Amino acid sequence: MAILEKETPATEASDSDDPQSSQAAVAAGVAASLAIASCGGGSGGGSNGSGGSGSSGVTDAQASRFLSQAALSARDNIWLLQLVGYEGWLNQQFTTPPSGSSWDWLVSQGYNAETYRYSNSSSDYVIWYRLITSPDQLRQRIALALSEYFVVSVSGISTQWSQFAMAAYWDMLCENAFGNFRQLLEAVTLNPAMGLYLNTKGNQKEDVATGRAPDENYAREVMQLFTIGLLELNNDGTVKTNGSGQPIETYNQDTITNLARVFTGWDLNTGIAGPTATTQFVMPMQLIASRHSALAATFLGTTIPAGTDGVTALKIALDTLFNHPNVGPFFGRQMIQRLVTSNPSPAYVARVATAFNNNGLGVRGDMQAVIRAILLDPEARSDDALALPTGGKLREPMLRFIQWARTFNATSAAGTWKIYDLSDPASRLAQSPLRSPSVFNYFRPGYTPPNTAIASAGLVAPEFQITNEPTVAGYLNFMQSVIANGIADVKPDYTTELSLAGDPTALVKQINLLMAANQVSATTEAGIIAAVASISASTPAGQLNRVRAAILLVMACPEYLVQK
Amino acid sequence: MKINKSADLARRAFLKRGSMLGAAGFAAPWALNLAAIGEAAAQTATDYKALVCVFLYGGNDHGNTLVPYDATNYAAYRTIRANLATPQANLAATLLTPATALPSGMQLAMAPQLASLKSLFDQGKLAVQLNVGPLIVPTTVAQYRSGSVPLPPKLFSHNDQQSIWQSSRPEGSITGWGGRIGDLFLGGNSTSALTCMSVTGNAVYLAGQTAVQYQVSTSGAVAVRGVKSSLYGSAACAAELRTLITNSSSHSLENEYAVVTRRSLDTEALVTSAVAAAPVFTTVFNTSNSLAMQLQMVAKMIAARGTLGVTRQVFLVSMSGFDLHDNLLSQHPVLLTSVNEALASFYGATVELGIANNVTTFTASDFGRTLTSNGGGSDHGWGGHHVVIGGAVQGGQFYGSAPAIAVNGPDDVGQGRLLPTTSVDQYAATLAAWFGVADSSMATIVPNIGNFTTRNLGFV
Repeated sequence: MAILEKETPATEASDSDDPQSSQAAVAAGVAASLAIASCGGGSGGGSNGSGGSGSSGVTDAQASRFLSQAALSARDNIWLLQLVGYEGWLNQQFTTPPSGSSWDWLVSQGYNAETYRYSNSSSDYVIWYRLITSPDQLRQRIALALSEYFVVSVSGISTQWSQFAMAAYWDMLCENAFGNFRQLLEAVTLNPAMGLYLNTKGNQKEDVATGRAPDENYAREVMQLFTIGLLELNNDGTVKTNGSGQPIETYNQDTITNLARVFTGWDLNTGIAGPTATTQFVMPMQLIASRHSALAATFLGTTIPAGTDGVTALKIALDTLFNHPNVGPFFGRQMIQRLVTSNPSPAYVARVATAFNNNGLGVRGDMQAVIRAILLDPEARSDDALALPTGGKLREPMLRFIQWARTFNATSAAGTWKIYDLSDPASRLAQSPLRSPSVFNYFRPGYTPPNTAIASAGLVAPEFQITNEPTVAGYLNFMQSVIANGIADVKPDYTTELSLAGDPTALVKQINLLMAANQVSATTEAGIIAAVASISASTPAGQLNRVRAAILLVMACPEYLVQK
Repeated sequence: MKINKSADLARRAFLKRGSMLGAAGFAAPWALNLAAIGEAAAQTATDYKALVCVFLYGGNDHGNTLVPYDATNYAAYRTIRANLATPQANLAATLLTPATALPSGMQLAMAPQLASLKSLFDQGKLAVQLNVGPLIVPTTVAQYRSGSVPLPPKLFSHNDQQSIWQSSRPEGSITGWGGRIGDLFLGGNSTSALTCMSVTGNAVYLAGQTAVQYQVSTSGAVAVRGVKSSLYGSAACAAELRTLITNSSSHSLENEYAVVTRRSLDTEALVTSAVAAAPVFTTVFNTSNSLAMQLQMVAKMIAARGTLGVTRQVFLVSMSGFDLHDNLLSQHPVLLTSVNEALASFYGATVELGIANNVTTFTASDFGRTLTSNGGGSDHGWGGHHVVIGGAVQGGQFYGSAPAIAVNGPDDVGQGRLLPTTSVDQYAATLAAWFGVADSSMATIVPNIGNFTTRNLGFV
């Protein structure tokens, strides 16, 4: 286990109800609000969401809703979306290159210095930095979703320079987010962070003399979690049954024992030249042929003959997994859950799986086709879905925080983005990017909160697995502080909102649109407006408190928390 | 506060359980009545009992937790474990000397890091349950291989075996045996919400038909600051915040979020004040040991039992990191050191509070692991060894059968993956019986208990 750097908690400061530091912000805000207003479009001006559509016919609320599923914030995107439409926006995002190397950023910040050899806090900084600032929002959103499917957690990486391993993992997910699932699967498999996390790195073939057997960890989890799952599925994600009505397990221990041979012989590529020893985390792992099992491997109807070289064996294995009919519905359903709804209909899953199976041009695994199918589906787009009493999903706490930071233009004055691990359940978010407690993610796709109407209805609600008495309180307390003070040197810029502070109705409606896609009901909105209006706006401090209260009250209400 | 629902909740639990029993055909009406009498007695008892589950997430390597020591078996262990073997000389101080020796001269030692647990064993306060794991019926290796008997689904899978240990069913299960026990006793707790308590994450173990898990952090219940006197200087906003976060909704997810929030708000002040007013104990818990911090909070809750008005509680704490496919030699001893320290502190605190005879603590884990080495660690197995600690425990003894130290031997299904010889249902039923569950109700707690002849293993 790497030695972790001790850090001072970032968020223990009070929320300064009597802010003395707000004067400058208010003064600066008056000028800046004029500039924002001239940027045009529907995102800036307190629209009520019923109009403002551009050539696409997409309303403000519809645009914001789409962005809540596809992006990280609606700010400055609503007008663009209305201009080019959903597909146009997706196409623009698909052609936007990745917004830079996280690995390079760590180097630029000096985290390759000797003092950081056993420190992994900078892996948090760089991921927050990317999620909060990168312009390629769809790519970042998909990378985050992928990081909850192909899970690697920095707390489970036993290496020095683990921050570079995590940065390289993030960059790999970003690079492959719009490519092909087959290439993504291979990149994940050979990525050093994954190799360290699930022990492919250094895995050796069997040794008859000592009784040593190959490590089975990756062989098991690549099937259970990354490709096919435990049970045979129909294309619509429902479970296949045998003649006696029982589910059919996809594999058994013998399958794993065989497949484990394929993942022997891989290790870090240490033979490459680079600026530092950390370069080995960027390169895919390489095969050391002498450590690769020469035994035949039989799994899932495929046999890799004895003596097959390791690179060929890996190709056969990954092709076999990739071509298993479970992958489309298994992966597709979980991506729908991360972006749109916890409980997609079987028909919706089938439409996404079909896009996975064939993008229309005969290509299997086209990620762009899958993303389009998820986000353009009637179950994601139709206004009717808004009225379903079971639709949508609980927003992940880390996505709420990222959305706040982006929507209110949070910036790090020093450019250092020292936002730490926010996993503490009692005082922070119970979640932090690339900090899952295990390869099973923060929550399971099939989690049902016991003893609830959700359970009675046979539905799932994955995010409720990290929802409990301390976490609901911890989230509110954390956001109360962050909304007032920011976190570390990352501070919000409420210029636009302060320009509306004199008009609580406009203020709250603007926040409802940007944060909640107008899904906070008129009744709830009226209550928030009345409460905000009760704060005197006669002083700059009062105006600031109106803005803060409006944001917190919107972000606290269940109508916001459940993204529909 | 909405905490005076105990009688109603107990009645609903009783009715639900009655219908379950009836539907399953396990019990005639007279048996139901006997169960009701037994539980009524328990509910009115003035004593207190707590059952504390220590879940070791990831699958504890039983092979290096309880190690063969006699010459024959150590040699077999040393050969199979190869580079993972603990040197025999390191085990001498933790060699266990049970009241009744194991057959064929087998001797077992605890890992060197478990010295305090060894001491509790010597004092008769710790029992070792050998080779326990999920089973539906008693199963032989031949039956496993031929598939002639029903097996627990999704063997060797972390999340599913965690769920089966906790609930008898794979992931997706919505009640666990801790919660089902809670259903029977929450009527005796004036604060029924505090019957099933977690100091770790959400877990199906604590969910009953009626009982709902209540979670505290290692520092106790967490207050929502914004609903106190003012929010950003505004009393109106604080009041509005309280309204917003507690309002019911016709949307099931929104409504459930509000339900959790209401539970959080309703009980926080009671828990916080009760813990603050509870008798102080001086037993030291290591603040850098997460498991110790969780157990310290359990001890504080137990100390506050009078104020909280509880007589029966089921607790869950956990530790993760046990999935040591690699780095077993460097990391497993670190984990066991924490386990040893935390469990010893907790037992010490219960002694100090004069409640040791009323608190039983037991370990559980996803599964045991392979006895063979993969070079750096071990892989997923099935059965494993566990410990039960408490003043009421019939300690200083091994329970169950010691498995042969072998690969493809009589007790393993390959690579030393143990086929359990004691089922989780038996293990749970024994604990439940101590807690006060009537034998006639046991099938509602652990559904497969009827398939096993021995319903009480006798360790407590």
